[in-house]
Amino acid sequence: MAGKEKRPIIETRKLYKVYSLGENRVFALNGVDLSIREGEFCSIVGTSGSGKSTLLNMLAGLEKPTKGEIVIGGSHIEKMTENQLVKFRRENVGFIFQSFNLLGTLNSVENVALPLTFRGVKKEIRNKKAEEMLKLVGLSKQMKNKPTQMSGGQQQRVGVARALVMDPKIIFADEPTGNLDSHTSAEVMELMRRVVKEQHKTLVMVTHDNHLAGFADRIFHIIDGKIVKIEERENYREE
Amino acid sequence: MKFFDLLSMSVSNLWRRKLRTFLTVLGVVIGTASIVVMVSIGIGMNRSMMQQIDEYGGLTTINVYSGDSYYGGGMAVAVSESGSSSGSQTEPVRLNDEMLQVLSGLEHVESVTPILSVDCLAKSGKYMANLSVRGIPAELLAQMNNMEVGQGTLPMPGDKELKFFYGNTVITDFYIEKTYQYYWETGVIPEIDFMEDPMYIIFDMDAYYASQYPSGDGTVTPPPKKYMVEACGVMAGDVEYYGANSSYVFCDLELLKEQLQRVFKNKAIPGQPTTATGKPYKEIYYNQVDVKVDDMDYMKDVQTQIQNLGLSASSNAEWIESQQESSNNLQMALGGIGAVSLFVAAIGIANTMMMSIYERTKEIGIIKVLGCDMRNIRSMFLMEAGFIGFVGGTVGILLSYGISFLVNYVASGQMGMAMGTGGAAEISYIPLWMPPVAIGFAILVGMLAGFFPALRAMKLSPLAAIRNE
Ligand SMILES: Nc1ncnc2c1ncn2[C@@H]1O[C@H](COP(=O)(O)OP(=O)(O)OP(=O)(O)O)[C@@H](O)[C@H]1O
Ligand SMILES: [Mg+2]
Repeated sequence: MAGKEKRPIIETRKLYKVYSLGENRVFALNGVDLSIREGEFCSIVGTSGSGKSTLLNMLAGLEKPTKGEIVIGGSHIEKMTENQLVKFRRENVGFIFQSFNLLGTLNSVENVALPLTFRGVKKEIRNKKAEEMLKLVGLSKQMKNKPTQMSGGQQQRVGVARALVMDPKIIFADEPTGNLDSHTSAEVMELMRRVVKEQHKTLVMVTHDNHLAGFADRIFHIIDGKIVKIEERENYREE
Repeated sequence: MKFFDLLSMSVSNLWRRKLRTFLTVLGVVIGTASIVVMVSIGIGMNRSMMQQIDEYGGLTTINVYSGDSYYGGGMAVAVSESGSSSGSQTEPVRLNDEMLQVLSGLEHVESVTPILSVDCLAKSGKYMANLSVRGIPAELLAQMNNMEVGQGTLPMPGDKELKFFYGNTVITDFYIEKTYQYYWETGVIPEIDFMEDPMYIIFDMDAYYASQYPSGDGTVTPPPKKYMVEACGVMAGDVEYYGANSSYVFCDLELLKEQLQRVFKNKAIPGQPTTATGKPYKEIYYNQVDVKVDDMDYMKDVQTQIQNLGLSASSNAEWIESQQESSNNLQMALGGIGAVSLFVAAIGIANTMMMSIYERTKEIGIIKVLGCDMRNIRSMFLMEAGFIGFVGGTVGILLSYGISFLVNYVASGQMGMAMGTGGAAEISYIPLWMPPVAIGFAILVGMLAGFFPALRAMKLSPLAAIRNE
């Protein structure tokens, strides 16, 4: 199997996250070791409160671990300062949110172009790129729409386009279809899978839905802050 | 991030909340306008004071008199009279050409102007007057302040004959010889045309009065000789305008000296010092020397040096200093009143920015996750605050010009009546440096007020921000 030879792009070692709530200590992550390969589509599944979001946020550098190491593309992000993390995210990471998190004052093109703005890309170039991305996710007719003028599925497509526009190595998605009905969810999942495969991105997705997790190459099962099972889906959709 | 993108983001954020932005800007407008107007009033008052001082003899002129003069506390330096063995006789330091050299040699002295004053009688037709004539080197006359020519010319260097230049109020010194009626009694300006009518001058006034009013013992004194002196010009200004030089008659110094020596021969010239035995000195001493200092800051210094020479010296320096101090105090007080309102405006800005952060917490979180630099977030907020300051400052300046114009308009209407020609002075004056400084200051205040909100926005944790619903 060729996939095994690929080098890991994300690795964690003995990752802990402990929240102290007064006397109580909550082990949101309880010693997570995982390794995600380049170009892979992984999903992290678990029940509510099992620590999925905590793990994803940590991988994306949005939260600091209590203990342990996170190595992404060779650099230890747990040691980075906030400024370095912002730069790291800007250069390597795309993010898809459950609640879309589009800026309500901007239209689709502007929303998608936003990450490029932070990179200092010229307006014409970033708008052109944003339009390309929107076409890719099938929104050629909604370029000028504000988020409130679109359906949830369309908004999340804008979210996907926004995550892709910077050409990041890794895309993190926290319950990207959590606010969508099952039919639309499947559509968005298909889209995400197609796009990351075409563009050779690494996609890490969090979900509590076993069916949606099944779109991935590998599935990490997490219970109470621990990875309990890794499911390989090498033969996905090859039937 | 590109500067222009930052700016357009900031502006569009402000534009989204038009009413609130407008109210915040309004606060800055009022704050800026009150500071600018208050300071402009301070400056305007200071300027009219300076103008007034200038009219009354300048800011950098020291009037120097001989040591025995009662003007200005000169130090009496004992100089024993030549030939006199007794040490009790002291001779005051006087102003002659030698002393002129000494004075012009002092540091920071720009020019020295010797003045020889004599009183004389003037007769023209039925009018008569007691004139104060001041002899000043013709080449220096042209450089003097408050010497605007209304008619004719100033006495020219190289003139062969003594010519008089009349101050604009001199005409009011003439009275009708028979009735002793002056202009201030009759209100009628004497009908003398200095340029056309012949003017007869009597220098030896003692002899004239002796001939007019014979003493008891019956000795009859012959009337002294009258000299016809031509006028070369008259000062600009009407009879009610009192400039520093308005009441004098000016002429060339050397020609005046020659004239006096011719008139009095070996007799003592009135107003000139004499020896203990009442004999005149060989040379003619100046009554006054005006020393012009190159900078107001050295006034005191030079004045002290001159007094140390044994001369008397007086200037406006001390008076100006105290005037300036009180006008500075006034400016500070006025500026302070304005500053309070700008301070209130600054609180308004800080409040607006703080509200804006609460409203935009989620948005800030999103752009942070998307990779917006912390510095960019801070700049964005600072720019918003600075932009409020800029717009407020600019409009505030425009408003200030309006208010300033109104104040001056109203004031000139009232003062014009009270002060006659002097009422032209502006109460409120906005110097050219004021608009850029005021706008810059408003921007600065805005940014300072926005600084802590901006820091807060910068430090927001992206996760907490995103969770915020
Ligand atoms: N900021 C926090 N302070 C205290 N405890 C927290 C905090 N964030 C998460 N936790 C706790 O950590 C555990 C894991 O939370 P996490 O958000 O990762 O769950 P999840 O798997 O994403 O659940 P869901 O599917 O409902 O989103 C939970 O028990 C939660 O109560
Ligand atoms: Mg979650």
